[in-house]
Amino acid sequence: MPIVTRPDFLPGLPKWSRKTLFALALLGICFAFAFPVLWLILTSLRPESGVYYVHRGTEFTLSSFAEVLSDERIVGAFLNSALISTLATVFSLLVTVSSGYMLSRFTGPAPRIWFGTIYVFRCVPYISWVLPLYFVTQSWGIYDTYTGLLLPHIAVHICFFSWLMKGFFDGIDPSMEYAAMIDGCTRWGAFIRVAVPSALPAISALAVLCWLFTWNEFLFALILTGNRVPMITVVMAQFVTEMGLRWNLMAATAVMALVPAFLIALFGQKYVIRGLRI
Amino acid sequence: MFGEQQRFVLLLIAPAALLLLLFQVVPIVIGANASFRDWALYNPKKTWIGFDHYAAVISDPAFLYVVLPNTFLFMVLSVAGALVAGLMLALLLNRPFRGQKLVQTILLVPLMVAPVVAAIMIRWIFNDQFGIVNVVLEAIGLEGQPWLVQRWSAFGIILLTDIWLWTPWFTLLLLAGLQSLPKEPFEAAAIDGTTTWRVFRFLTLPMLRPVIVVCVVIRAIDAFRTFDIVWTLTGGGPGRSTELFSLYAYVHAFLNLDLGRGSAAAIIGGLIILVIGVVLYRLVDRIAKA
Repeated sequence: MPIVTRPDFLPGLPKWSRKTLFALALLGICFAFAFPVLWLILTSLRPESGVYYVHRGTEFTLSSFAEVLSDERIVGAFLNSALISTLATVFSLLVTVSSGYMLSRFTGPAPRIWFGTIYVFRCVPYISWVLPLYFVTQSWGIYDTYTGLLLPHIAVHICFFSWLMKGFFDGIDPSMEYAAMIDGCTRWGAFIRVAVPSALPAISALAVLCWLFTWNEFLFALILTGNRVPMITVVMAQFVTEMGLRWNLMAATAVMALVPAFLIALFGQKYVIRGLRI
Repeated sequence: MFGEQQRFVLLLIAPAALLLLLFQVVPIVIGANASFRDWALYNPKKTWIGFDHYAAVISDPAFLYVVLPNTFLFMVLSVAGALVAGLMLALLLNRPFRGQKLVQTILLVPLMVAPVVAAIMIRWIFNDQFGIVNVVLEAIGLEGQPWLVQRWSAFGIILLTDIWLWTPWFTLLLLAGLQSLPKEPFEAAAIDGTTTWRVFRFLTLPMLRPVIVVCVVIRAIDAFRTFDIVWTLTGGGPGRSTELFSLYAYVHAFLNLDLGRGSAAAIIGGLIILVIGVVLYRLVDRIAKA
């Protein structure tokens, strides 16, 4: 008798109906999660005259995309978002990998205090520090500049990512690092040449998440930028009020904002799924 | 002054600690300072007025009877909704079947969608004149609703958008948790002929509890500060009936141009979530040790 370790889907029903119901359930789930995005893509492909009746008519056009791409402000916002996301990912990993390593490998008052600190600051709502950050960046002369946008985007992930990195390093046996140190490696050598390479899958997962979070971020960009370095999410939100009736353009911009995130996520999917298994 | 090991330990966290200090601690201190002053953006007198702003926020009926209940209701329902949906999906997907990879990829879709984009999508789908939902409703003879300009339907749509965005997180984390559970108890239960419900209730659920609790804590704290989907979907309207705490602080600081009052609201919200966060942390600690 085969041992069933996973409960059957709806036990008690005949096998064929179980299979059909399972397939229908899967179909329903896929529909629920994919439909809004598919509808957005469909809307973006409709000509201006057909946009209000997306479900009817067979004309499709790429003219909305062409119009969006000829708008300098939107293209600029795309480049800004891509640049900030990439830089924020690099720097935030540099900072949090070492911080997570410290939390995982050492005991004593310093790691305990640091862990308490990052837990508390992880709880603080963004609005409580981004609101005054508006003045801080202004008085430091970095408001509405790349620096003024990049540094807060690095700071925001310190707490969560240090915590995740600690979990990843906890899952890696430290004996290799001890062996390296006995063989004459310095602490830094053991960290950079032994621990970091073995945590590379987790670090890749974090890189994907960090890039997506920064690309999708809204509140920081809303408060910390004026006209010089707009981010794509803010430009889109302004669309809703300024071009409230031009849904084809809005959909085209939104679809374009999805594309880089999709590529990054598809490329990084296996890392994220493996990385989440902590 | 420090030994070699202490120097290493401190250097490892130095960059992170410096950034945290400059971009979180310093602003919070400045915000706390502003919350005690008459600090209107158009006329920053910056005179000390004590707890006046706090009193104004706490006695503001909009804050007490709309914003706070909305925030808590949103937090509880969004976490509960995403947890239940995520758990059901994880249980359903926790078996081999054809097309598993495809379903998994589709489930990842909401993770890639920016909340602002999700809000725009949902706004279009629920548009009162041309949205597909009303088109379908009218096609089957029902009446279309102005979804986003009625308080509770607007609130429900915000909630739905949030659950759509976060269910996949729960699914992935819980699925990973399910797959790392030991097989033996389930085999024993199968040999004993235990019913599916009892297996779930007395085996799966207790063994999965640590993962569930961690997911819930992380998500609850994030749900409390939700800003972008509400801002894009309703802007807090109709009236101010769907405002959450982050919006309240933002509106006071940047639309009413009263930084002092906005900062006071932000500090009050921060304190509330800090208390919740510490309580939840204790809970996780107890469950992890039990």
